[in-house]
Amino acid sequence: MVVDLLLTRYNYAVALVLLGIGLYMLIGNRNLVKKVIGMNIFQTAIFLIFITAAYVEGGNPPLLSGPEPYVSPLPHVLILTAIVVGVSLTAVALALTIRIYAEYGTLDEPVLRRLQR
Amino acid sequence: MSDAGQSRPPEGAAYVESTIIMTTVRLIAPFVITYGLFVMFHGADSPGGGFQGGVIVGAMVVMVGFAFGVAPAREWVKNDVLVAVATTGALTFVAVGLGAQLLGGRFLEYASYEPLYHHASKYLIELVELAIGAIVAAVVVGLYFSLARGHVGSTEEDEA
Amino acid sequence: MSPAPLEVVLLVFVLACAVGAALLEDVLAAILAFAAYSLGISVLWVFLQAPDVGLTEAAVGAGIMTILFLLAVAKTAREPSGRTLESVRWRSLVLVGAFVGVLALVLPAVPAIGDPAAPVLSYDVTQYYLANSYEETGVTNAVTAVLAAYRGLDTLGEATVVFTAAVAVLVVFDREVLT
Repeated sequence: MVVDLLLTRYNYAVALVLLGIGLYMLIGNRNLVKKVIGMNIFQTAIFLIFITAAYVEGGNPPLLSGPEPYVSPLPHVLILTAIVVGVSLTAVALALTIRIYAEYGTLDEPVLRRLQR
Repeated sequence: MSDAGQSRPPEGAAYVESTIIMTTVRLIAPFVITYGLFVMFHGADSPGGGFQGGVIVGAMVVMVGFAFGVAPAREWVKNDVLVAVATTGALTFVAVGLGAQLLGGRFLEYASYEPLYHHASKYLIELVELAIGAIVAAVVVGLYFSLARGHVGSTEEDEA
Repeated sequence: MSPAPLEVVLLVFVLACAVGAALLEDVLAAILAFAAYSLGISVLWVFLQAPDVGLTEAAVGAGIMTILFLLAVAKTAREPSGRTLESVRWRSLVLVGAFVGVLALVLPAVPAIGDPAAPVLSYDVTQYYLANSYEETGVTNAVTAVLAAYRGLDTLGEATVVFTAAVAVLVVFDREVLT
């Protein structure tokens, strides 16, 4: 039963594991830049869930000049927007990281927390 | 805090001159920007569109920054050009939407331009994709230069 | 629908890159693992018949984002310690395991991959967009039609977010000019 579940919903299972890895990097890694990488892995796992939901077996890309069974274009649009918003978020997070390093001289989160006290 | 044990390049030594990279970038930069414009223009009929094309065009300027150093690239792309391109893109998009309202339809309803020009919807979608591409290209280049300069301390005078 | 062998290889590669990014000690190595992960994900999008999304992910994820990360490392420091892999924080791992476990309870309720009767595909909105987008907008790429015409306001908001990111970086660095 579990094997059958994994064989038909494998993308969702991989997306859940990637969510876990991204969340671990966000809370478990000490370096601030690695936390930002974890945030990006988390975001791409969410994209995997959406794009897998849009897929139909034997489907073709949603270009209307191609052959008939199309995958759904609506989640693709959402994910296009989300990728670009994600890069904006990453850029501002990295700018904050550079500013924090210029102020405190370290990127290590427990050390920063002790310096703040 | 920052002492021995951290590997940090001294200021100004982050650029390493390499003949291979300079020659390669000099050869392929025109093709990269042509491909970026191709992807922007063909967003209506094949995979592509404004975001992808804008990022590719921005990546061309970043490539030039890698090959020849950030300071020459900074002088080549002036700040006014970046700001002008980004704001022109944003204003074009909003103008297309408001123009639809002036012609009697709703905001961003391309069908209300139909009496002005045959097949107006397709050309307006292309214009909107170009506007989005302009914004994204200018912002990508601006982010690259901003992050490359980093934080200049408040005691130094920032040259404009 | 069982996965094709190439898809299995791709998924294993993506998982390995993500685990590598989490466990490698050196920040530069983690960034390179993330770039490889991004490339694997963009090939996965092409497998799932989403070429627009694959193009964007390749250009943005494996391209611009890696460059921004490398700039951040160049402006800050790589702190070398002797180890290759960092030690696993067990408390975080237990928390993450609980989170993933609770979410995995949802897995039987999701429709199987590629099921034609899935709600996303049989829903009225999707069928309407696929049937009418060429007559109403004149473009044959359904994703562009939805992006620029049917959901144009969202795209305007997204262009504004991109613009705001540049302004926010200027505010963080206390500057007035971009270059």
